[in-house]
Formats: sequence, C-alpha cells, structure tokens
Amino acid sequence: MLEISELRKRFAGGPDAPGGKVALDGISFAVRPGEMFGFVGANGAGKTTTMRIVMGVLQADSGSVSWQGKRLDYDVRRRFGYMPEERGLYQKMRVAEQIEYFGRLHGLSPAAAKKATDDLLERLGVAERRNDAVQALSLGNQQRVQLAVALVHDPEVLVLDEPFSGLDPIAVDALATALQERCRGGVPVIFSSHQLELVERLCDSVGIVAAGRMVATGTVADLRAEEGNTLRVVVRDPAPGWADGLPGTVTVSGDRHVLRTAGGDDQEVLRRAMKAGHVEHFGVEQSTLTEIFKEAVA
Amino acid sequence: MNGLMLVARREIVTQLRTKAFVIGLIITALLTAVISFAPRFMSGPDSYTLGTVNSQQLPLQAAAPQATFEWRSFPDEAAAKQAVLAGDVDAVLVNGTKVLTDGEIDAQLGVLMQSVNREVRLGAVGVSIPALQMESVGADTRYESARTGIAWVLTVVLFMLLFGQAVVVAMGVVEEKGSRIVEILLSSLRPWQLLGGKIVGLGVLGLINLATVIVAGFAGATASGIAADFPPGMPGLVAGVLVWFVLGYAFFATLSAAFASLVSRQEEVNSVLTPLTMVMMATYFVAIYAVNDPTGTLATVLSYVPPFSSMIMPVRMAASEVPMWQTGLSMAAMALALLAVLAFGAKVYERAVLRTGARVKLGDVLRAR
Ligand SMILES: Nc1ncnc2c1ncn2[C@@H]1O[C@H](COP(=O)(O)OP(=O)(O)OP(=O)(O)O)[C@@H](O)[C@H]1O
Ligand SMILES: [Mg+2]
Repeated sequence: MLEISELRKRFAGGPDAPGGKVALDGISFAVRPGEMFGFVGANGAGKTTTMRIVMGVLQADSGSVSWQGKRLDYDVRRRFGYMPEERGLYQKMRVAEQIEYFGRLHGLSPAAAKKATDDLLERLGVAERRNDAVQALSLGNQQRVQLAVALVHDPEVLVLDEPFSGLDPIAVDALATALQERCRGGVPVIFSSHQLELVERLCDSVGIVAAGRMVATGTVADLRAEEGNTLRVVVRDPAPGWADGLPGTVTVSGDRHVLRTAGGDDQEVLRRAMKAGHVEHFGVEQSTLTEIFKEAVA
Repeated sequence: MNGLMLVARREIVTQLRTKAFVIGLIITALLTAVISFAPRFMSGPDSYTLGTVNSQQLPLQAAAPQATFEWRSFPDEAAAKQAVLAGDVDAVLVNGTKVLTDGEIDAQLGVLMQSVNREVRLGAVGVSIPALQMESVGADTRYESARTGIAWVLTVVLFMLLFGQAVVVAMGVVEEKGSRIVEILLSSLRPWQLLGGKIVGLGVLGLINLATVIVAGFAGATASGIAADFPPGMPGLVAGVLVWFVLGYAFFATLSAAFASLVSRQEEVNSVLTPLTMVMMATYFVAIYAVNDPTGTLATVLSYVPPFSSMIMPVRMAASEVPMWQTGLSMAAMALALLAVLAFGAKVYERAVLRTGARVKLGDVLRAR
C-alpha cells in the first residue's frame, strides 16, 4: 500500500504574501496495489505539489509517504515511474535512445532496456519515430515518449501528473489500456486529471483535493452514495399543487412537470405522482463525478 | 554500470556525435600542427648568397656550421654591383679588400666576414688563434626559445579547454534544469551522480581534445625538425599538463555547474558565470605573464595558489625548470581546494537544481536548512 499521510507544505511567500502560501494542509490518502487512483482538484489545489513530494523532488514540511510500510527513500523511489507535470526530455536525443537511457538509469540491463523500449514504442504507437530527435515530434507524440520513459522500467508504483492532457482519443485509449494492464499486475497507479469522465471511467477510487486538503476519497460509487442519489420523476399534465409537501424541487416545461428529490420516501412519491397524472419517467439519476466534484469543492 | 558512469557516457556519446565537436577537434589539431611548424619559417637557419670579384672565397662555413653559404663569382665590380642591387646576392667581396652590399650589411654576416678575413690573413703569416671556449655558469638557456614556445601554446590551449568545457558544463546543467528533465533524472539518480557524471563525461572530452593537441603538436614539431630543440623531460611535462588539466577542469567545471544550477534559462548563464569568468581571465593573464617571466615573483607565488596554480604551474614547468617538490606541493594545495569546491558545488547544486523559475540566490541556497 502506498500511504500518504498528513503532508504539509508551505511555500515561501513574496513581498505580497509575507506569510507564505500554504499549498498542502495535511493531505492524507492511501492507494492499494492494483488500484487506479484518480487525483482531482481545481487548479492550484495541490495535486502537483503532492506528487512531487511523493517522488522526492520536493521536500514536505511535515508528514510522510510510505510504500509497503517503509518510508520512501531513494532506493525505493528508483523503482517508481514518474511523469512530471512539466514534461522534460532531451530535445536533441533520439526517441528510442532516450527511453533506453532512462531504463538504464532505473537499473535495467542494456538488453532489458532495449526490449522494454521496443515494446513500449510499439504499444504507444510511436515505433516509426524511434530514430527521430524528440524535438521533431508533435507535442502529443512527445507526451507518448514521456510516458514510455515513466513506464520503461516496469515500475512498482506509477505517479503520473496529468498524463492524458494533450493526447488524442486513440492515444488516450492506448494509455488507458497500458495503465489498466499495470494495475492488473498489482501496481498502484495515481494520476491527476481534469478530465473527470475519464477518471470516472478508469479509476477504482478517486480523491478530491481542495486548497491542500483531501475533501473526499473513495470509489465513485461511494462518493455517489455519500452525495445521495437524486430521484427524477416526470409527470405529464398533473393536477396543480400535486407535489406540495414532497421534498425536492419541481420544474415545469410545457405540460411536463419534473420533480428532483434526494431523500424522502420514493414509494410515497410514486403514489402521489400516479394519482396526479401520467408518469412518463421514474428513476434514480446517478450524479456524475463532475457534479460530485463541484459539490465537494464548493 | 552505475548512474554516474551512465550519465558520463551519455555526455560523451552525445558530444562525439555532434559535428561541432568533430570539426572543432580537427581544426585544433591542424592549428597546433601549423603552429609547431611556424618557428621554422620565422627563424630558420641563416643562408647567404655571396659573390667574389677577383678574390678567394672566405672559409665562412667552418666558422658558422649552421648557416649555409652559396658562392658566385663575377667578372668585374660593375657586374657585381648590379647583382647586389638586384638582390641576387647579399654581399660581394672585391679584391679581398672591400665588401659591396645594398644598404648596411647584415650584422651577423658583417662580423663573420671581418673575423674570418682577419684569421685568414693572420694564418697566412703563421699566426694561429685557438677558438674561444664558451661556458655558461648561469641557467641553461639553450632551450629557452623552445620552452617559451611550448609554454605559449600550452597557455592558450589550457585556457580554451578549461574555459570552453566549463561553459559546456554550465549549459548542460541549465538545459536539464530548464526543461525539467532533472525531475525525472533525480527520481532515479542522486544529485551528485548527475553532477559528477556530467563533469566526468565532459572532462573526458576535454582530455580527448588536449591529447589531440599534444599529439598534433609533437607530430608537427617532429616533421618540421624543431623537436630537436625541445628540452629534455618532455614526457614529465606532458604528464604534468594532463594532471593539471584534470585538477583545473574539475575545479572550474564544478563551480560552473553550481552557479549554473541557480538559473533556469540559457540566457542567464553568462551573467551567473561572470565571477567565475573573471577568475579564469585573471588566471589566463597571469599565465601569459608567466610565459615571459617564469621565474619572477608573481609567477612563483601564484603557482602555489589555487586555482591560479592550475595554469601557472604547468606554464612554469614548460617555461623553466621546476623542482619536483614544488610541483607536488602546488598539486596538493590544488587538490585540497578541489575537495572544498566539490563539497560546496554538490551542496549548491543539490539545493538549487530543483528550484525552477526565477534565479535562485546563492545566499538562500547556502542558508536553507
Ligand atoms: N514553487 C512554488 N513556489 C510557490 N508556490 C508554489 C510553488 N509550487 C506550487 N505553488 C503553489 O502551491 C499551490 C498548489 O499548486 P499545485 O501545482 O500543487 O496545484 P495543482 O493542483 O497541481 O494545480 P493544477 O491543476 O493547476 O496543475 C498553488 O497555490 C501554487 O501557487
Ligand atoms: Mg498540477
């Protein structure tokens, strides 16, 4: 299990903010092996700061990060795969050489690094660019190379900061598949993203950060349950005042009345609606992650 | 292979593959070879064309074995005058009593002809004069001009390589910091491995350059024949130069990397390196001074003071004779200074290289934590 507990980080402020800026205010969460964890939050919420602390490129003021019960140190982190928010590659180095180089730095033998590189280039759809300099690639393709760099050494843990931004739908699928495969192999994957539908589709669990605190964590289903589901009833041409006394709100469009309610006795609602008019729709509406997110950070 | 070596290897392979490096190497080699030929054109052995009118040739060759003399004879003074004015001959001996020249006679030739003439006349009347034995009781100055030449070339080459490689190190550090590769690199390498690998790799390239210069210089000098004038102890000098280069390079490159890690953009490299550049320029100027006055107080004192010693001492070694213990003492001082700089550089680099954005203040880095 990858455990992040009570991370705090304050950045030194400039002349306008003498007290400094609190980026993390005691953030805690855990990711199990084989779990895909979606890390969401508004801009400036603290996602990148958290991930940089996990990878050791930034020091927390307090708090700890541990993997399988051991506090992270250099040797453990070396087996992690990391994709930073600000992409970085040697622009003049060739694609395949670059991926191999990072594989070697992570401790692969030359042969293993070469094999892993070939596999990844194939899988991420950049095999034909293997001998081009990175700077000759489009941004999206550079991003695929960046991902290959994070994946080349078959990491034990994956920490990816906005890995999907800038990718076309086909590349998104290729990456999603690659990540799911690693997950199935028991690797915990944390990735941040602003594409909430994607997070909802891929992730086993989600953490929502706001202002340096974790405001909600759990599976999307858990979060929905917490949020409470909305009952939506559409009645055509009901008697006026039919919903008086029921919880929720009614909106009227033409001769259709739509009742949205969270909580209350759904059977009672159904009886009242059937008495009032023709019931066209009666069902529980699942809130999307976007709705949950907006609710949570509000 | 450990991380440091992998980093070093990448630096070497990347540079070796660039056209700029290969072309630079070829140009340096050619330039050095040409320079080692130059003295031959500038002060080759003297050669004179002389004429006679109604006179015996003087036995000049015996008196000046290095010079070459070519004799021509003219039927009369008028023909001789014409040849002198046309520049065909340097001087013509007429009737064994006067010498015709165009303008004043070459001083050396004049003295030579006078004294040989006197000797011949005296010899004719049975007086023989034994030649004077020359003996120097001061320093051995036979090799002075060769030593000065070598010291000159050495100063320029050492300066170019030390300075050039230090700047390349700085640019590499900023490339990695500015493009944020350093974030990924430092999740699999320790800062000292990344820093050390870069310095070692670019240092090996510097040594390749230096070796090329040395080989080209010796090849040129051997081909042109001036190698014969080289002082004894050349292998020791070469070894000394290599060691000094390694010490000086490691010193300057480490500082250069540390300063460069404070900034995130290539445009800022120049200004952040200014203090270091000034020290290097000062070293260079003192080295030039030491070429001409290798035994003077300034050169002697500064040849013990790091980092000046990294250039001054090899120049002193080339330009004059330096006892072994002095070299050893100076090297030990430099090695100590290098250790201090390595500790300082590694600390600054480690603390500054992940702080992207605005230029990091050195004071902040040293104060932090
Ligand atoms: N080097 C820094 N110096 C000062 N403040 C910083 C620094 N890095 C981050 N911050 C501040 O810390 C807070 C959290 O930033 P962080 O980059 O972690 O947000 P994020 O959740 O990744 O946002 P985004 O979705 O925009 O990527 C922000 O208010 C940011 O301004
Ligand atoms: Mg971010």
